[in-house]
Amino acid sequence: MHSGRLRYGAPLRPAGLEGEAISIESAADLLARTVEALVRRAPSIAADAARELGSIMLALHFGDGTHATLQARHNSLMVTRALAQGPVECFFDDRSLLSLYDLERRPSQILEQGAFDVRGTAEQVLAVWRTFQLLAQRAAGLRSVQALWLAYRRSLGLDVAVGTGGSGPDPGPLGEVPDAAGLLRGTEPGAARSASVATTRVLWDRRAGEGWWTLEGPRDADLFDIMETCRRLAADEILTRIPQRHPVDSLYRLMREYPARGGKGLRPTLCIATCGAFGGHSEDAVRIAAAVEMFHNAFLIHDDIEDESLNRRGKGCLHMEHGIPLAVNAGDGLNLLAVETVLSNIDRLGLARTLALIDEIIRMCRESIEGQAIELGWIRRRHIPRRDADYIHMVTKKTGWYTCRSPCRLGAIAAGHTRPRELDLLGNVFGQVGIAFQIQDDILNLVGEEDLYGKEPLGDLLEGKRTLMLIHLMRSVSKRECRELLGWLGRPRSERTLAESRHVLRRMERSGSIEYARAVAARHAARGARLFEETLGFIPQSEDKAILGQVIHYVNTRLL
Amino acid sequence: MTSGSARPDAAPPGLDVGPFLTGPPGPFPRVPLSDVLERRWLHYAFITTDEQQALIANLATLGAEDGGEPIRTTVLLAYHREHGWACSQWHAYLPREPWTSFRSPGPPTTFPRRPDFELQSLAGTPAVALHLTSTSTPAPAGVSHFHRTHWKRWQAQPGVLAAGRWDDGMVPARETVAVGYHERVHGRWAWPEMGGWVFGFCNQLGDRLDGPPSWAVVFALLQPMDEARDHTAMVMVWRRGRMVFFVPRRALRVSVAGQLARDRVVTAPSLAPLLGTFATAPIPAVLCIDGYQGGDWIQLRFRCRDAARLVVPSETSLQPFSVHEVIGDMEVRLRMNGSSQLFASPGIVEFAGGAAERSWSALR
Repeated sequence: MHSGRLRYGAPLRPAGLEGEAISIESAADLLARTVEALVRRAPSIAADAARELGSIMLALHFGDGTHATLQARHNSLMVTRALAQGPVECFFDDRSLLSLYDLERRPSQILEQGAFDVRGTAEQVLAVWRTFQLLAQRAAGLRSVQALWLAYRRSLGLDVAVGTGGSGPDPGPLGEVPDAAGLLRGTEPGAARSASVATTRVLWDRRAGEGWWTLEGPRDADLFDIMETCRRLAADEILTRIPQRHPVDSLYRLMREYPARGGKGLRPTLCIATCGAFGGHSEDAVRIAAAVEMFHNAFLIHDDIEDESLNRRGKGCLHMEHGIPLAVNAGDGLNLLAVETVLSNIDRLGLARTLALIDEIIRMCRESIEGQAIELGWIRRRHIPRRDADYIHMVTKKTGWYTCRSPCRLGAIAAGHTRPRELDLLGNVFGQVGIAFQIQDDILNLVGEEDLYGKEPLGDLLEGKRTLMLIHLMRSVSKRECRELLGWLGRPRSERTLAESRHVLRRMERSGSIEYARAVAARHAARGARLFEETLGFIPQSEDKAILGQVIHYVNTRLL
Repeated sequence: MTSGSARPDAAPPGLDVGPFLTGPPGPFPRVPLSDVLERRWLHYAFITTDEQQALIANLATLGAEDGGEPIRTTVLLAYHREHGWACSQWHAYLPREPWTSFRSPGPPTTFPRRPDFELQSLAGTPAVALHLTSTSTPAPAGVSHFHRTHWKRWQAQPGVLAAGRWDDGMVPARETVAVGYHERVHGRWAWPEMGGWVFGFCNQLGDRLDGPPSWAVVFALLQPMDEARDHTAMVMVWRRGRMVFFVPRRALRVSVAGQLARDRVVTAPSLAPLLGTFATAPIPAVLCIDGYQGGDWIQLRFRCRDAARLVVPSETSLQPFSVHEVIGDMEVRLRMNGSSQLFASPGIVEFAGGAAERSWSALR
């Protein structure tokens, strides 16, 4: 591994900034696409804006005659491109709309009479103002958002403001602090990170200042790009480690299949970002991130067999394509390779850190296997727990450890941090995130887009998985319906039809089970976010830490 | 002086000479160090004239507890533009007291002359044996007084020439010429109260390699944890070896932006990462300094390229103090007496601090 392959050190892909043509239909379209980009790429910005907006439904009217509604929903923002009545109404003409983005000029320099109007109670208007202020300050740094607003600006024939670069006016008593961020934007990419979101920090201004080492405010990263980069790094490492030898067709090609199909990259991102947040080199975490992904893929192969699943990541499950015996064997092969990969850290991280990694990996595997056993035991005994706590306990073990807790803990260990108290604090935060992740995963299986999600629709119902929605439904229906459902769930998978599953889904929708699960997931994500702020203060602010913060909000707004 | 991997065949390191002497009585008195917080050191930093290599060395004497013998630390950090960093541990082999212009104005002129500055990692490399030449006047001594009983006094000198054998262990050893910076420091402080600093220099080479640089710039920003009134800042400019411009703190503005990618930063000495060393705040990616005096002004723009984090254990806190030695490119715009100058050269900047990060308050 060499530094040239590195992740966020590499220049951000200028999505649409140069070359790619972006067509914005209207001001309402611009706002909707901005919010969509934020929810996808920087969910923590959307979450913070949602917190400011609260329960306000904001009706927006634009100078081009289009309308939209903006509201907060489950720690995120949602835009509807339609005229709506709301307690607070905003009117923007094109110039005032662009002032949201143009941070180089004050709104008072741009706004003219009648260009901007807002109506509502004072308290609500101020909440709206804070929401837009937050969006303007933080979203404007993201390249994908810049690309959208640049395209809109160009479509209106307005000039694009260009920074003055590093050499400002001559210094003097009336001068200003030098524009370090402007200088950074002219620096060779690769050496510095976050050029697009950097702001000038004043270390000394003639009479006062603050140390360079003091903590910066929150920074935002494009999570979408970073997850893709981390996923690719781990996948490359896995594919390099799978031997080029016989038997190819009955083993090694099968071992490559799931890793080559992609994935979200959540675990590698957590692992690599945590390593960076603790001051380590991102390269140091790539091998252990790859090892976790190997275990994950091995679990998936076996899990798909145990659950009789049909599809995985948009294609047939391994056992459907190659038969159960070969699939089981490929899963075993990945497990073995994962152990080998963990051990290979000795030459890079040394014996002590590698031993700590092994210890954590053993814990991760044990928790996952125990969690899986609990759920399979419920299915075998035709048992559906009544309490949410039982479900939370199961998913914490089954998914929480190897999806969120352990990747973070392993990343910290790769950076040389093995203090149990700090690892536990980190684990507590991401334990909550793991729960939210699994609930959202279960929701997506029922109502997500199949193309994005990659598994067969309603697969969890067909498999009889004990999801939070099912547990809620069983609590909500009459005894007779409960017996019916138990009877249906007790049948073998082959005897449960898609039509019957759709019927159960409709019952869930009628009983509010899906909304209930969404709320529980949002609650756990919010708890994770609160713990992140309250207990992880010992990790210095950095882009890596900001990425960890983004992940917390990503888990319950993700679409795949 | 041997090179390669051979271990020096000499007395155990640190025992063959006494505490480092930093100069004549006066601002840097030859007095015993009074307690564990009192310390003094000699600092050397050079960049080769082909701009491919650099070295930073620090020879420190630290006060002992309970009136015992003072502790000496010697560290040699070498940089190669393509290969990165190599570092000794805290006890690099120093066969004899190095020459310093603060103690004697010029090196001995008897020939054959032994190298004035010899330092070697016990592992063999990095190792240097250099003849040093002073070409420029030293700066006035700077003083910072903070936290009631803590103080730091330092004096810098740019334009020091170094010629001799240079073996960083990353490329074959060679005879080379470098130009750099020398500094002496004496003070008494605890690292958390020290807060941190930004020090740096650059030398713009002249036509002749045996003379003073055309231009040299040294700057310092010292920011103890206490109030801003205790902060110290200055920029100094030398023209052909003579100091010609001094900008005090009330006429300075300093800003930074971005962060140097973590992968451009190595932790040194190499044992430090094994000791559970805490992360520090990211190093800024660029540093900008503007200063003025009447109609004269200076603008410094420094782009960080690579950095090594020297981890210094703190006597009074769990958090170590980190001195980031950062190599980068300096651009200087200058207006003096109605004429303008613009030059660029490689420079070294220290971003130091971190012994009292607020991180610990969360764990207590």
